[in-house]
Amino acid sequence: MALIFGWPLLRYAWLSGHADSVLTGLVPVANGGANWLRLLSDQRFWVDALQTARFGVVSVGIELILAMAIALLLDQRWRGRGAVRALTLMPWALPTTMMALGWRWIFNTPYGPIEQLAGSLGAGPLNLLSAPSLTWLVTVLADVWKTTPFIALILLAGLQTIPDDLYGAFRLEGGTSVQALRRITLPLLTPYILLSLLFRLAQAFGVFDLIQVLTGGGPAGSTESLALYAYLNAMRFLDFGYSATVMLGGFVLLMALIGLGALILRLSGLIRPLQT
Amino acid sequence: MRNALRCLVAVLSTVFVLAGFAWSSGNRLTPVPVSILMPAPFADASKELVNRFNREHQGKIELTINRGPLETESISDLAISSLLLGDAPFDALMMDVTWLPKYVAAGWLEPLDRWFDSSDSEQLVQGARLGNRFENHLYRWPLVADVGVLYWRTDLMDVPPSTPDQLRSVALNLVQSSRVANGFVWQGRQYEGLSCDFVEVLHGFGGAWMSADQASTTLDTPAAKKAAAWLDSLIRDGASPRAVTNYAETESLQAFKAGDAAMMRNWPYAWAELQKPDSAVRGKVGITLMPAEQGEKPAATLGSWGISLLRESPHPEETVEAIRFLTSETSQRERFLDYGYTPTAEALFTDPELLAVSSALPDVRRALNHAVPRPPTPIYAQLSDVLQRQLNGLFTSGGSATETMDEAQIRSETLIRSAGGMA
Repeated sequence: MALIFGWPLLRYAWLSGHADSVLTGLVPVANGGANWLRLLSDQRFWVDALQTARFGVVSVGIELILAMAIALLLDQRWRGRGAVRALTLMPWALPTTMMALGWRWIFNTPYGPIEQLAGSLGAGPLNLLSAPSLTWLVTVLADVWKTTPFIALILLAGLQTIPDDLYGAFRLEGGTSVQALRRITLPLLTPYILLSLLFRLAQAFGVFDLIQVLTGGGPAGSTESLALYAYLNAMRFLDFGYSATVMLGGFVLLMALIGLGALILRLSGLIRPLQT
Repeated sequence: MRNALRCLVAVLSTVFVLAGFAWSSGNRLTPVPVSILMPAPFADASKELVNRFNREHQGKIELTINRGPLETESISDLAISSLLLGDAPFDALMMDVTWLPKYVAAGWLEPLDRWFDSSDSEQLVQGARLGNRFENHLYRWPLVADVGVLYWRTDLMDVPPSTPDQLRSVALNLVQSSRVANGFVWQGRQYEGLSCDFVEVLHGFGGAWMSADQASTTLDTPAAKKAAAWLDSLIRDGASPRAVTNYAETESLQAFKAGDAAMMRNWPYAWAELQKPDSAVRGKVGITLMPAEQGEKPAATLGSWGISLLRESPHPEETVEAIRFLTSETSQRERFLDYGYTPTAEALFTDPELLAVSSALPDVRRALNHAVPRPPTPIYAQLSDVLQRQLNGLFTSGGSATETMDEAQIRSETLIRSAGGMA
């Protein structure tokens, strides 16, 4: 843990205190807190942080709701369930870059199927990849399509740990199935929900390949994520000192967000099932 | 019959023995390994050349081409990652024109002045002489020439437009009379292609990205504002489809090739694509320069790839020999005839054999004589990033061209200041 997580983090922390760019001939030169001061006043960092948070929270939120429905469905006994279970995993198994390329063509104006459909309905060109207020939703859609199966899989595993007798007893006492969902399924599933939330939020905050291929951060930077900004700084601008600062700054923000989430959960009492 | 058989056996065994000798003598001299990293299309187009080079240098040099990814950005990532690790697994690198100052500043390249002199440069077409030098040293030798050009439909207009106003009105007329779905397609996506397109328009209006002394950017000049406003007006008025704000080269080519556009800004590679059997505009396409206002010189943004020698290479002499071979006139001729890559040697542009294959060659040469490089500075990627974001923001979120370019200038100045000047 210390080796694969701690070491890179320490290295980033060290780098963020140095100017290490093409201008220093790629030799790290200590520059005090200059990188951090720059980060604080770097409007683009804060805009990207907000955009990343928006992407993460919205896509994970939608994924959780959809995945819950899918998991409940796949938990029932019906003919062909095994085949459908395997099929739902398909998007998750596809490489993100290929999927993103696919979406880029699906939303292509004017040749993509979405535009063709809109055109035949007389809705004119939608230009969904050229509208700063809408394009981020396309990235959310692509992400939901790909990673919902992942959450569904975790939730399904959780559902299968709930003994059937519980439901049987509940029914005997006259409970309806909606009540069963609220009183039995959800509370017992909470650890699994929190686990998948944690996994997915961490992943969504580091979103890079999907954005890079689908929009390149555009239009007008409206879909740029923190990871993309850090990547640009390192690999395009050869500014490793500042890139490390952006990464670390993003990490601090993510930790703060997770801490805040945990606090809210604890205060609202939702987290209790974890401790029992 | 039996004699014939005996003869055959004798001949065969002689061949085997000779081959054996050749083999063992080849083994005694271990050839110097030379490897060059190239983007996939160039690596594929070099296969036969590499085989010939290795035959000619048998026992002396063994050249291998590392086949990199397809896209410019991916190959840059791969190159940079290996260079950062220090011990690069190759001796030379195929370089895009904009990388050069950055790579030189990072200390990764070895000057080529020792091997190439002015007599070599004089063989090159005007546009191929640019973008190979930085801080008075030669760091790259060109492999293919490349500049931005304007494609136009010969079935929709008699002559191509030569001024921005003409282009706009021709495009609008054709669209409004429903003779074509889209007027002018170009690259408006937030990426490097947008900067390339803008440089051409900017010069067409008499502006420039950098001041004459290269000390600062000049993006808030009236010319720059006119250029941005003109591009924006194309989209607003319908001379260009709104979708160009997400178009890269591929999407523009797709629309033009399908017959859905009257004009397209692209690179010379598109010509061969447009002449393929599946092209709806085959034989109906002309190439010209991007428009310029009356009295201004039209400009063609310099693209082009070349090979650079890496400082870490343990075999510079042998590597340069390979670079010379791959960029020779003979190799260029083959690469053009077999794969359509624009040559760099002046002489080849008037070669009857090449002209027979592509009638567009004289037009490409004309564009090469108007080649304009993008700012040669180690912080080019940052400057271009600023410009792309500002312009794409103007096209997609509205605002005024004046504010957009003022902001681009302010951000560029901040960048230059924090870099301590232009280096």
